[in-house]
Amino acid sequence: MGYRVGIDIGGTFTDFALLKGADVVLHKNLSTPEDRSIGVMNGLEKLAKIEGLPVADFLGKCDAIVHGTTIADNTLIEMNGALTGLITTEGFRDEVEYRRGFKEDIWDLRLPPPLEITPRRRRLTVPERVLADGTIYKELDEAAVRAACARLRKQKVESVAISLLFSFVNPVHEKRVARIVAEEMPDAHISCSYQVLPRAPEYDRTSTTVVNAYVGPRVTSYLEKLVSRLKEGGYKNQLMVMQASGGVMTKEYIDGAPIRVLASGPAGGVVGSAHVGVEKGYPNLLCVDMGGTSYDMSVVHNGAAPAEAGWNMHHRYLIGVPMVKVETLGAGGGSICHVNNGALEVGPASAGATPGPICYGRGGMKPTTTDALLMLGILSAQSEFAGGSFSLRKDGVEEAFQEIGRQMGYSAEDAAFDCWRVVNANMSQAVRRTTAGKGIDPKDMVMLAYGGNGPVFAAIQAEDLGITKVLVPKASPAFSALGTLVAMPSIDEERSYIASADALDIAKLTSHWKELGDRAEKFFAEANFSRDKVSAKYQLNMRYRGQNFALTFDIDGSKHLGDLSFINAGIGMRAIEAFNKRHMEEYGHIREGEIPEVTGVRLVTTVTTPTPKVLKGLTAPVTKATATKKRRANLGAGFKDTDIFHGASLKPGHEVTGPAIIEETFTTIVVYPGWKARIDDAGDYELTRAAA
Amino acid sequence: MSFELNKRLAAKRAPLSTPATIDPVTASIIRGAFETVCFEANTHLGRAASSAIINQSNERNAAIVDANGRLAACSIGTPHLTFVSQLTVRYGLENLKDFDWGPGDVFVGNDPDFGGGHLPDYNVYGPIYDDSGKLVLIAALQAHQGDTGGKDPGGFTLEATDIFTEGLAIPCVKLVHRGEKRRDIIRLIERNNRFPSFAGDLAAMISAVQLADRQLKAILRKWGTDAVNAAINYNIEHTEQRFRQEVTKWPDGSYAADVFIDHDTQGTKDVKVHVTCTVKGDQLTVDLTGTDDRQELVGVWNTFANSRGYVMTQIAAAIDPSIVKNEGLFNGIEIIIPEGCIAHPPINKPAALGSFHPACEITEAVCVALSAVVPGRSAPQVYKIGMPNAVIGFRDGQMWLDQGVDARSMDVSAVQGIDGWGSCPAALGNLLLSEVEDAESRVPIINISREMTKDSGGAGQWRGQPGSLNVKRVLEPTTAMAWMVSSDHPIRGMCGGDDGSSYSNHFEVGTEREYKVELSAHAQLPAGAVIAYQHGGGAGFGSALARDPEAVKEDVLDEKVGVEAARSKYGVVLTGTLENYDLAVDAAATAALRKSMIANQPAKAA
Repeated sequence: MGYRVGIDIGGTFTDFALLKGADVVLHKNLSTPEDRSIGVMNGLEKLAKIEGLPVADFLGKCDAIVHGTTIADNTLIEMNGALTGLITTEGFRDEVEYRRGFKEDIWDLRLPPPLEITPRRRRLTVPERVLADGTIYKELDEAAVRAACARLRKQKVESVAISLLFSFVNPVHEKRVARIVAEEMPDAHISCSYQVLPRAPEYDRTSTTVVNAYVGPRVTSYLEKLVSRLKEGGYKNQLMVMQASGGVMTKEYIDGAPIRVLASGPAGGVVGSAHVGVEKGYPNLLCVDMGGTSYDMSVVHNGAAPAEAGWNMHHRYLIGVPMVKVETLGAGGGSICHVNNGALEVGPASAGATPGPICYGRGGMKPTTTDALLMLGILSAQSEFAGGSFSLRKDGVEEAFQEIGRQMGYSAEDAAFDCWRVVNANMSQAVRRTTAGKGIDPKDMVMLAYGGNGPVFAAIQAEDLGITKVLVPKASPAFSALGTLVAMPSIDEERSYIASADALDIAKLTSHWKELGDRAEKFFAEANFSRDKVSAKYQLNMRYRGQNFALTFDIDGSKHLGDLSFINAGIGMRAIEAFNKRHMEEYGHIREGEIPEVTGVRLVTTVTTPTPKVLKGLTAPVTKATATKKRRANLGAGFKDTDIFHGASLKPGHEVTGPAIIEETFTTIVVYPGWKARIDDAGDYELTRAAA
Repeated sequence: MSFELNKRLAAKRAPLSTPATIDPVTASIIRGAFETVCFEANTHLGRAASSAIINQSNERNAAIVDANGRLAACSIGTPHLTFVSQLTVRYGLENLKDFDWGPGDVFVGNDPDFGGGHLPDYNVYGPIYDDSGKLVLIAALQAHQGDTGGKDPGGFTLEATDIFTEGLAIPCVKLVHRGEKRRDIIRLIERNNRFPSFAGDLAAMISAVQLADRQLKAILRKWGTDAVNAAINYNIEHTEQRFRQEVTKWPDGSYAADVFIDHDTQGTKDVKVHVTCTVKGDQLTVDLTGTDDRQELVGVWNTFANSRGYVMTQIAAAIDPSIVKNEGLFNGIEIIIPEGCIAHPPINKPAALGSFHPACEITEAVCVALSAVVPGRSAPQVYKIGMPNAVIGFRDGQMWLDQGVDARSMDVSAVQGIDGWGSCPAALGNLLLSEVEDAESRVPIINISREMTKDSGGAGQWRGQPGSLNVKRVLEPTTAMAWMVSSDHPIRGMCGGDDGSSYSNHFEVGTEREYKVELSAHAQLPAGAVIAYQHGGGAGFGSALARDPEAVKEDVLDEKVGVEAARSKYGVVLTGTLENYDLAVDAAATAALRKSMIANQPAKAA
């Protein structure tokens, strides 16, 4: 069996996880922002060295290289994508600018507009019209398409989005426009809405297609560069790329809709969490990742990381492709503590990595969450920080909290403690919002905490939400790279089909599912996966008539790809039954006597590839761990002399009873009063709340 | 009777009596928990409801009211609902013994004469009791319903002279008794509604209140009733304090404004809203004395609760957006609305159309008055549309409605430093406007166009967003209702900015029967008829002659402003052509033109 390599490129570090058999080797080196593929090749050389092989031999032995990239996200953050134009149906030039009326803050009339990817001058329309049933109401005016191309050419447009009304029902006009654009603007990148997001409504589809056009050329050219470097280096297989849906797929597939890599970074961590949770016997997880600037929350339900398409205002643009749901709160170690009109607030402003918190000693002047943790004794100036790369410094920290205390009318330590409480409350509320409307009770979940600061706060939110168990994997700092190895090759697509559930057209259902199946088969074949390796989940989107949000569920469980035997006369009744069950779970009521409608057919195809083994349970005898020292710290119940443990010296079976602090290489784990931590056979931490 | 009740319902409420004290941090933690409950209940309602007006247009709101009837927390629904929700609840509270309130109950009220906005706004609410059986909170959800069972489908009757024409008025009725649905009552209410999806909407509202009930109970257990009450007191007082601090920064004085509605539904012209905002130290008084009180006016009666809420909608926009929205805002302001005027009608007046006008003119007048005080936060948070063209038909005996809340641009005024953008004012930014591909899959209509109209945004140093022309064809014979205003009196410009453009509306476009709807229409349209609604653009802010000429050039490139208007309205002379994308500002010619335009301005005004 050959190697599998997972690579995750972050802003500062590129992380590698090498899987050989069941063993994992982790590696980290600096990212190379000028050409990120260089950093990737540097790391691969290092891994080859670890394995004692020349690079070419090492790459030749790789079954798969799986890659997560933030290139699309960075393009949107920096707004430096391709100069983009839009061609749409006459009369509908301004839909993307209207945003369906959406504004992010209804109380702030000074909110500035989002930067426009396609300002009005580059949004051009052509006479044509397709109706809801796919019939042509008005023929396409081809001369108008050529005239529009001429105008876009004059504006030096590099990438063209094409989005016509009802193209997802009948793409004939959109295809024709694309052919004309290819003739008139041979160098332009072309994105067609019927390919990028073949579903209603037009704003979702157009917005997604426009963003795809904007980030597409960069994503494609970056991946091309990487593929050719890997090929030159001796790699013989397809490069697999992480998608926001939580699956991976070939570069060829991504090229069809590069937007699928947007927001794929955090997805890796969630997929990794799901894997660890399932293996350890915890299929329902609340995953929390707290780093320097943000707190990311996601939910793993029945062992899967749910990916939803829908209203997702990523970087103020709506993206309609499935994305692993990750909610973000601006609360991290660098979040700034301040008093605003008598109210104590933490974040969302952040001191970032530079200057960073005051205690980093790099010129930061504003007190942050990390500084508050230092004040509370949860962190210490005497201990190593961030893997020993530097130590924290107390200079200026106390003074900063004295100033906050002065404004609030109490001491510096009280101020730091209140900052800690505010951070906790913000995170608890944010977590609740993450589970809102999903019919999930956090009490039934296990929390999985990672990121440098996640394990500091995890047990507090757990307690707030009634969660009694928290997992902290030892390998949590490189979780995203590990996640790309865990993620399976998968394609998740849908087609719009609206019909009452008691009047489904078997032929139409069959043709939609067959088309989706054929596409999946083709792409998997290109990635050297034969049809019998591909498992398929056939799904329906359904709702009661009038509802605007559909519920998605499997119809008849998993199937072999191409096995359409489940499509028969009884499918409508089965669908109604399954829908009502979901509706009851989700909303606590069903509508007796109402027939729901189908709004879309979906197909999720997956191939199972080898993943790292996760040890579960504890066979070693439980023994009390010995504290290495004591420190004055406030873990929520006032300052006390608190036991400090050295993480690296803890072994499976060791138990730590709170209040206590465990100092790990890249993180700190706080065992709050009433909690205890145990190291399991895998070396991972399991924190449990003692029964009340 | 109605006036007395209104006075009682709106009267300032005392803080909750509680032995507990609370620190600011815990108070804000409890507030955050409340807001999350509102958010969850609102999300639940939006996802489960059946009507586009709730699950797309998002005309819904969740609020938590305390045992004294005060607004303790609200979610981001629309401010126009948020600030109205308490008074219906207060009416129920006044009668809680008579109406046999108890744990697990859910009520509904919509009566404009008993604290309501207008009939379509159903307020479904449930009292929350702690484990000792004490009533602590009320969870209240409001949502606009597609029909109210009156004379006309949709609930808007142009010629209505009393509330009974408009439909079923409910002061307070119990839908769920101690956790059990009262199916007889629910059936009665469903029966009084033409909309087949109403039953689903009502069911979603009830289950959303029940969701809030479970979550609020958990909060009460966690913190204790006394601490929760102390937190509510603290948060309301804190908001009042911060609000008064804002007012203190405003210059003392009296600031008055008149805003006119073109006509009532029967054609009586120039209906006036008059507002005087008085700032004295930390006290703001908004007085509507001088507002039209001609009793013969038809259709332009806005309920007292609504008028109060629509004043607050603009006040909330004028202050630091981080100030928490709760009862503290009402405590920090005195609102005077004379009895008998169109903003405080006598009992039994119709109320449906009043929520459009004069409601929005009240908001707009507050904005015009305060533009002298807080120019940086002055843009009217209104919809100047008379009413959207409601297109109604029947299939298999069941009503369908194209409510006309389509993707479009209207009334997006500039504010100092920022051009109007998007498709509606910030306060309405929670709407999800209806899309062609949803609508045409449901109703027999073809949408032809909804683009912005060049030169329809009010000129100014900062420009209003152009309004859109929405054109559609009906495929079956249908009824279409329209009420036209904001043609003679479009949205007002701020601080020297131009007014927005006028609304206009044409039916049976392109046929020999084509006509302009001047006043109102209740028309039978034949299959194939085209209707075209020109929505008004937003207003400008500051003098157009002060606009950066480069920004004007960009507007011309985007075809929001024409070359001619660049010259005549902005005094900007351009070289090059739009077709060649080589437009450039002729700086010398622009300076000269602007100089002569400024010189001519006083003469123009005279």
